[in-house]
Amino acid sequence: MANQDFVGVPSQVDARSLTRGATDFQRLRRGLLINYIVLGAGAILMIVPFIWMISTSFKPQAETVSFPPRLFPINPTISNYIDVFDRANMGQLYWNTTFISVIKTIFNIYTSALLGYIFGKFVFRGRDIIFYILLSTWIIPFEVYLIPLYLMTVQVGWADTFTALIVPEIFTIYAMFMFRQFMYTIPTELIDAARIDGAGEWYIFHRIIIPLSRAALFTLIAFYFMWNWNDFLWPLVVISSHDKYVITVGLATFVGEFWNQYGVIMAGASLAIIPILALFIAVQRFIIEGVVLTGLKG
Amino acid sequence: MIQTIVQKFAGRRSSIRAAEHRFIIIALVPTIIFYAIVKFYPIFFSFFISMHEWSLFGNVSPFVGFDNYAILAKDSLFYKVMWNTMYRTFAGTFLGAFSSLIVALILNPIKRGSIPLRLIYFLPVMTSVIASATVWKWMLQTRFGLLNQLLSFIGIQPVPWLQSTTWAMPSIIVMGIWGGIGFTVIIYLAGLKGIPKDYYEAAEIDGASSIQLALKITLPLLKPVVSFVLITGVIGGFSGGFQAIYMMTGGGPLDSTRVLALHIYDYAFQRMFMGQAASMSFVLFAIVLILTLVQFRLQRVNWEL
Repeated sequence: MANQDFVGVPSQVDARSLTRGATDFQRLRRGLLINYIVLGAGAILMIVPFIWMISTSFKPQAETVSFPPRLFPINPTISNYIDVFDRANMGQLYWNTTFISVIKTIFNIYTSALLGYIFGKFVFRGRDIIFYILLSTWIIPFEVYLIPLYLMTVQVGWADTFTALIVPEIFTIYAMFMFRQFMYTIPTELIDAARIDGAGEWYIFHRIIIPLSRAALFTLIAFYFMWNWNDFLWPLVVISSHDKYVITVGLATFVGEFWNQYGVIMAGASLAIIPILALFIAVQRFIIEGVVLTGLKG
Repeated sequence: MIQTIVQKFAGRRSSIRAAEHRFIIIALVPTIIFYAIVKFYPIFFSFFISMHEWSLFGNVSPFVGFDNYAILAKDSLFYKVMWNTMYRTFAGTFLGAFSSLIVALILNPIKRGSIPLRLIYFLPVMTSVIASATVWKWMLQTRFGLLNQLLSFIGIQPVPWLQSTTWAMPSIIVMGIWGGIGFTVIIYLAGLKGIPKDYYEAAEIDGASSIQLALKITLPLLKPVVSFVLITGVIGGFSGGFQAIYMMTGGGPLDSTRVLALHIYDYAFQRMFMGQAASMSFVLFAIVLILTLVQFRLQRVNWEL
């Protein structure tokens, strides 16, 4: 579809300009030109922090504080990055964060798909009541949970463990709600037909429902992975040993220790941002479509 | 003959029903137990804590009834925190919703190159707030920060953005708008997609200008989406801001950026007044609950549209 623009198939604009005359076409073009200029200026503002972060991260300390500001370092260096890996234990942070994010995301998505399917496709007594009771927890701010959950974690001996990071967040209400909405697009006849053919309930869920939910699945995996990767407050409270830090907490601590070594700090920020950003640019189509899919259909 | 077929079929159906029931129970029972322990019990526990003078270190936690709440009502710092929270919430939500609307309106008619543009506006949404706050703090640095260096070219003296009680909160609000604009734009674009093209064509034939189109067609039809953005923004705002403020100002200078989320964390985990912090979290809970009920009412009205 998008290719049409490039191969020169007469699009709506061209057709109009032919019928209504060139002035109309020019008016439209000029109008859009202003749009491009305004959006371009906005886009530069949006992207400046990223550019400046990367630029600073390759500067030696003396250059970071030089005037006038320079986009390209005179003597580019990667020593800031080496410093971060040495002092912030970056490898360990990456591993911890990836491990926890992957496990949490798998749990989040699997449980949500299962419950979304159950609440969306089954009829049983008390279904709506149970669903709305679970849904009501959506509005409760995490700050309300912070203190009691922390004390409970300490009590069961999970303080300073990955278990404490993962277990309280196995189930998640947002993805469950989205999957339930999505289930309405899957025809019930299909599930009944599978049952008549003798398929078991788990077989239906794993082999029919999950593959049919691909669109919602990919988007929610992307979002949950991102949220889990960027999570901060709970890991900050629960984890106390440095070797168990996740990347956000590691960066915050690192910034506190090396404040005013701007090059090193920007290298740390780049290392925290770039892997996840690269991943998301690779799958961006799903995300942006997914916001539309999941954001408003509710 | 027919009877046996019916019997067989009925038997098969009931075994399917039994399998369905088993499936539902296996999935639901652990869920309900989980929610009871991790989502509902803590609320009661937290309320219990808020009734005590609770410290992590002391073994004795005397019962104090509603004293923690009474202290809040007389605490001038708490009023300041509430004011800061509302300042950040309302200014951030309204300015954010407005600027996103502008971006969405001028992005909507664009076909070529709209995907990379959307992606650029969306980048900060995907970025960890901790990391982007680190970068913003560096750009807003008084002597060597990019912003003040650029301003010096047009003769403006360095502004201590994050060290000034006037500028710290606006700086944090602007960073928050930068971080959220991409998300809101996409919600608006979805709303704009739902407006039928014929409306515009009909109005254009009648000679309406593009500003008239925006004011008379787009905005009224987009009203439900705008109110959705505003209300969810305000609800989220009351409990938000922790990461950016933790990294950029730590609540300072002179508590001018101390918002509720940071205050609760500070009281619970730095000063170890857990009972007091729990009572604040209940105040937050009450505010969010009331706003959510308001949202339900408003949305019911909007659905009629």
